[in-house]
Amino acid sequence: MTAVRETAASRRIVVCVGSGGVGKTTVAAAIALDRALSGGRVLVCTIDPARRLANALGLSSLGNVESRVPDHKFAEAGLRAKGELHAMMLDVKRTWDDLVARHAPDPARRERILKNRLYQQMSSALAGSQEYMAMEKLYELATDRDYDLIVLDTPPTAHALDFLDAPDRILDFLGNDAARVLLAPAIGAGKLGLRLAQIGGGYVAKTLARFTGQAALSDLGDFLQGFQGMYEGFKDRAGAVRALLSRPEVGFVLVTSPSPISIDEAMAFHERLHAESMPVAGLVANRVTPDLWPGAAPLPSPEDLAPPLDARGGNDPGLARRLAETLAEHQALASAERRALERLFESVSAPYAVVPRLESDVHDLRGLARLAERL
Amino acid sequence: MVTGKGGVGKSTVSAALAVLAARAGKRVLVCEVNARERIAPLLGAPPAGSSVREARPGLFTLNVTPHEAMREYGIMVLKFRTIYDAVFENRLVRHFLRVIPSLAELVTLGKILFEAKSEERGRPRWDVVIVDAPATGHAVQLLRVPSALLDTVPAGPLRGDAEWMQALLLDPVRTALAIVTLPEEMPVNEAIELDAQVRNELGIPRAALFVNAMPEVRFTHEEETRLESLVGAPPPLGPAATAARLQALRAEQAQRYLARARAALDLPTTVLPLLPVAEWGAEAVERIADAIAAAPPQGAP
Repeated sequence: MTAVRETAASRRIVVCVGSGGVGKTTVAAAIALDRALSGGRVLVCTIDPARRLANALGLSSLGNVESRVPDHKFAEAGLRAKGELHAMMLDVKRTWDDLVARHAPDPARRERILKNRLYQQMSSALAGSQEYMAMEKLYELATDRDYDLIVLDTPPTAHALDFLDAPDRILDFLGNDAARVLLAPAIGAGKLGLRLAQIGGGYVAKTLARFTGQAALSDLGDFLQGFQGMYEGFKDRAGAVRALLSRPEVGFVLVTSPSPISIDEAMAFHERLHAESMPVAGLVANRVTPDLWPGAAPLPSPEDLAPPLDARGGNDPGLARRLAETLAEHQALASAERRALERLFESVSAPYAVVPRLESDVHDLRGLARLAERL
Repeated sequence: MVTGKGGVGKSTVSAALAVLAARAGKRVLVCEVNARERIAPLLGAPPAGSSVREARPGLFTLNVTPHEAMREYGIMVLKFRTIYDAVFENRLVRHFLRVIPSLAELVTLGKILFEAKSEERGRPRWDVVIVDAPATGHAVQLLRVPSALLDTVPAGPLRGDAEWMQALLLDPVRTALAIVTLPEEMPVNEAIELDAQVRNELGIPRAALFVNAMPEVRFTHEEETRLESLVGAPPPLGPAATAARLQALRAEQAQRYLARARAALDLPTTVLPLLPVAEWGAEAVERIADAIAAAPPQGAP
């Protein structure tokens, strides 16, 4: 076993984070599979897997529920699992609805919220909603189930840090004190304008209404009133999720590609985890161009390649030149990536793995198992 | 509007389109949306910040942030800066405005579209406004705001703004959306999904597909088969054959995904070359601009 696998296997919860398009989902699935193969009940919760990977995990038609990857999928890949691999795909809207149902004091209030236009917009489209629900689901799974390991894939955010910040933004919205002060006492009585008018001698009320329109304020007031009394429950829960993420049985795995933008994101995320005392289990540099010409010897010229090519069936038309060019380009990319990654490995003290760019996308259990061996 | 999956080269393509327009003697504004500013540096200029700055003769950049856009919008609506400052710079009110769903998107988009229709001495201030829009999901959220408001908000100032914004966005004479992708599985999937959303939900006129970082086909099929047997040869031939085989495989896969994107999207398409490391950054913008000029988006519709 190499570094990242080892540390990941010792945790109960592994959260894969990184900027979009770096292969988080695949790495998450590989870590989960690896542990299931060596024995253990494992769940991987994915967000938006590529279709073929979803198929490989038996996720083609499943929503917010966990399902066990059947034995024949392992057999097809020539694998035998000592443990169990379960997989699920996060359904953001359903997770929201479940959360509302859990906290609503009565069915009438639940229905009122579920039917509110702003709620519907928020639960499906509001930025950060997905991240918040990913955390919420993780907490539910970690407390209500008895998996040996849960691996969470995180939403494909533009910036990796959104994953930690988004839940706060949503909570901020639900528990917005300013909105309460401005709206709450009046909406109960159905007189929105009243309370607003009391602030700044009517100044604020009039200008705000000019800005948003009176009706938009009323919609919002209605929505926030629906959540009144539930906010504390939401907030406690979010606090518990935070606490969970700081426990030593949790490990974040930072996934990055060798591109400078992705590496910067990984470094910023690491700083943030460090500042919040959240444990980092490892670092995965994915899709790295392999070094094919190690050492300091100069790269071969077309003239160097021509004789061995001639000896093995000929060198036309200009094959030696194209080979020399291709190797030189390949190595330029490999060394640019290596320099960028060294900067990352120096500044982050955690086990790391370098996964070379594979010849094809990973889309079956065998591919995942091979990927896991590199971690 | 230039959009696509994160990391596919939207900023590079936006900058290249701007360079092309400026080369044609047009007055161009490139807007980034609440980004770590990339366009100005890509053009070899210092960051512009949240005000319009000239990066090159005739080529201007702007990074639109919600806070600044909210302020400008508020002052415009209310006519008086003093009233805006008294009300909107109030901590409580600012906090409140931040959480009204879609307001940040509305003012951001409003600022951009306001630039697009603004005039100076009776003629348009800009010949072309290029928007380096956020990645797919966030771009859809941004561009959906006017129609969402028209669906949900009754008469009022918000609705009035949503109306002119939506009219501008849907006008095929003035607005066009370009999708950028890479010839790889996930970016192409996302481009196809995005295109469907643009057609079915947003209704913004689609204009072009840019397939970025396309590796060239350098080896024939016969050569590829031969390379496989050469991979095991001692250096220097073995490593060179390995690099060549990886290149060939990548080019082959890229051709497959390009074909898939073309078949699924039915958009005028420009294929942009994969550039060597030495040309990343500012160099890339010039090269990409040349490539677009040499082969502007072609095909249906």
